[in-house]
Amino acid sequence: MPVTVRTFTSSGDAAAALSSDRSARYLGGGTLVMRALNEGDISISTIVRASDHALSRIEATGSRVTIGAGVTFARILAERDLAFLHAPARSIGGPAVRNMGTVGGNLFAPNPYGDFTVALLALDAMVSVQGGLGSRDIPIEEFLQGRERQTGTLVLSISCQKPGQTDAFRYRKIARIKPKGGSVITLAAHLPVNGNRIVGARIALGSMAPTQIRARAAERALEGRSLDAATISAAAAAAAEGTAPGDNALGSAWYRREIVGVHLRRLLSGQE
Amino acid sequence: MLELRKDIFADERDDNLKEIGKPTQRQDMLGHVTGTSPYFNDHMLQGMLHLKVVRSTHSHARLRRIDTSEAERAQGVRRIIRGADVPVNLNTLLSLINFGKDDEPSLAVDKVRYKGEPIVAIVADSEREAFEAIAKVKIDYEPLATVFDVEDALKPGAPVVNEVYPRNTFTYHETYDRQQLRFGDADRALATADHVLEQRYQMSPIEHAPTETNGSIAAPDTNGRYIVYTSTQALFFSVDTCAKILDVPSNTFHFIGGTVGGGFGGKVDTLTEPLCILGAMLTGRPVRYVFGREEEMQYGPPRGAERIYIKDGVMRDGRIVARNIRAYFDSGAYTRLSSYAAVKCAAHLPGPYTIPNVHGDVYCVFTNRTPATAMRGFGVTAMDFAIECQMDKLAHLVGMDPMEFRILNAYRDGDMKAHRREAKNTALIECVQVAAEKAKWPIREEFRRMSSRKDGGGARAAIPATPPESHAPVAAPSQQRTTYDRAPVATREPPPPPPPPSSPTPPRPNAPSHGATRFSSVFGTRRR
Repeated sequence: MPVTVRTFTSSGDAAAALSSDRSARYLGGGTLVMRALNEGDISISTIVRASDHALSRIEATGSRVTIGAGVTFARILAERDLAFLHAPARSIGGPAVRNMGTVGGNLFAPNPYGDFTVALLALDAMVSVQGGLGSRDIPIEEFLQGRERQTGTLVLSISCQKPGQTDAFRYRKIARIKPKGGSVITLAAHLPVNGNRIVGARIALGSMAPTQIRARAAERALEGRSLDAATISAAAAAAAEGTAPGDNALGSAWYRREIVGVHLRRLLSGQE
Repeated sequence: MLELRKDIFADERDDNLKEIGKPTQRQDMLGHVTGTSPYFNDHMLQGMLHLKVVRSTHSHARLRRIDTSEAERAQGVRRIIRGADVPVNLNTLLSLINFGKDDEPSLAVDKVRYKGEPIVAIVADSEREAFEAIAKVKIDYEPLATVFDVEDALKPGAPVVNEVYPRNTFTYHETYDRQQLRFGDADRALATADHVLEQRYQMSPIEHAPTETNGSIAAPDTNGRYIVYTSTQALFFSVDTCAKILDVPSNTFHFIGGTVGGGFGGKVDTLTEPLCILGAMLTGRPVRYVFGREEEMQYGPPRGAERIYIKDGVMRDGRIVARNIRAYFDSGAYTRLSSYAAVKCAAHLPGPYTIPNVHGDVYCVFTNRTPATAMRGFGVTAMDFAIECQMDKLAHLVGMDPMEFRILNAYRDGDMKAHRREAKNTALIECVQVAAEKAKWPIREEFRRMSSRKDGGGARAAIPATPPESHAPVAAPSQQRTTYDRAPVATREPPPPPPPPSSPTPPRPNAPSHGATRFSSVFGTRRR
């Protein structure tokens, strides 16, 4: 059966087409879907596209930013108001992939990809999706836990609060090949400080489980404390707790568990 | 920046050369920088069909049953090709120079020996339809015991990977299970050395990762000929390989290649051309067969992994008196070119150093891994890595500067090499001296004054007494056998080719032109 391409002007129509056809996939930048098609993935028979401008809109002037699902990483890098997201955007692929790859697609990128989503998870983003029954906002953590069931929905945008202080948000991707390699592990930390105490710590990890996950034990070690050596050590020691990394060509599960604490320590203590 | 050190060996070199040392324009550069170089995949022919192969999901398994009935009925499928359709479904690349036994089918018949081995080829109107038909092919596997480690493969009782080589080692000169080098008495010298250092070095397979994946397009031409656009990096080698597998004279083909989108050794194996041409023969239509990226990375042949053991005896003054090397080349399930890599490796021992006692054993071993092939200096690169790591460790052991240690042990003109040939035009000492100078690495005056042309020969030209080794007769294989193994007799004839393909029969105007007796100084004389 040949592959059918369906293009819609409204994201609502595109979402309806997605939810009514199990073999349909939404094509954003194509860095995942076209690769799958080229490699012979016959589970995809319909490609759905939407030319809705809302999907490529960025609202970043206020304290809360909203990024359309179709916004590319190249556009994030060109946006001064999104400076806090430049490090994760720059860590993805090479210039060609950043020109095509989108924020929405990254939410579905399997290991060892999906680095931008690690940053969004640490920032407690909301994912706005349109399903057959209308649009709704889902916390990103919940979205990722049910990611396999989200294929019939269309992601419209993501939104998150800008970090209050610039050093409250930190990001680090560990790759063997720089600058374009896949992730061995990826770490992001959001550590808002109130009167020298961390309030609302969020640590997110990539390649440490089938989807991006939070390091809750490390978060607990940081919560309510000041970021001193003892706190950092406690967080680093707890980094691997609750994780379920896998083996792949870039690293073994054992190796990932061994290094996650080391890199979390470096991230929290500001070491290069 | 290129710097020619014309002061060194000035009297040995003719400086009036027309090309060497002078800039020259590459003939393909203009096409590359303007994006006009033609690649094989730039030919979109009318009515072109697409070929894809069904690959084994097991590393070692008997093929109980291959059911293509549903795939044959799938939309867009023009032809299913099975092993029995390939005129000569057993080949080894270097059979063209009479080296090695035919050991690899184009499409697996009785069993598969590595994960990803092609079993069935499907020719369809589109790639998509070929992929959909692949999903409809049902293969009943009976998994067999696997072996992935070179030393495990040599142990008694190891699974037999390839029945053509029942001891899991390539057979040299129809007798030997290894390449062997003996010079002096390494065991005795190791016993009397001041220090002995034994180390193990393990390499990984390396994928060539070309930008353009392996592929070809074959189309029927006039007069029963076929035009073949190909990515091969060894065009005439591929022509003859296809002529042999398809059992037609090589002038049946008009191969057009030359522009290779990255080869590095990964495009000599002629993996796509035979099936592509066969598809064109069986359908009368142009056929395109191109590896996907995952196929290229997973099943395209890599540089093989080597395991190397080096045991050196060194004296307190820094002289290496003995070097014992054991190397295992992981050929994967089929020979391809690894047999030749082991020959090159043995010819390279013990590195560019004069060592009076050398003992070398180099094995080409079969395992259930993806077959390995050529890649930039294969056979030598890994061994040099191991030897030079070892040289640094030895220098550290005797407390010498590593540069001076290499100069001290470097071969010089007139020395006897372990292969019993006199060393000529040696230049390692000068290379190390210039490298040290460029790196601002201080070496002592006496080492700066040493020369490849001084103090060689004399006692260093002697061939030391080499104790004879009792050659144990090659034992019958003791490995675990499957019902698919051929009898363990030393049969030197390749098994009879499978029956010719069913209708329509590809044209076979004349008898094939193979069978000439050839001679090679490395491989000897052999009639195919």
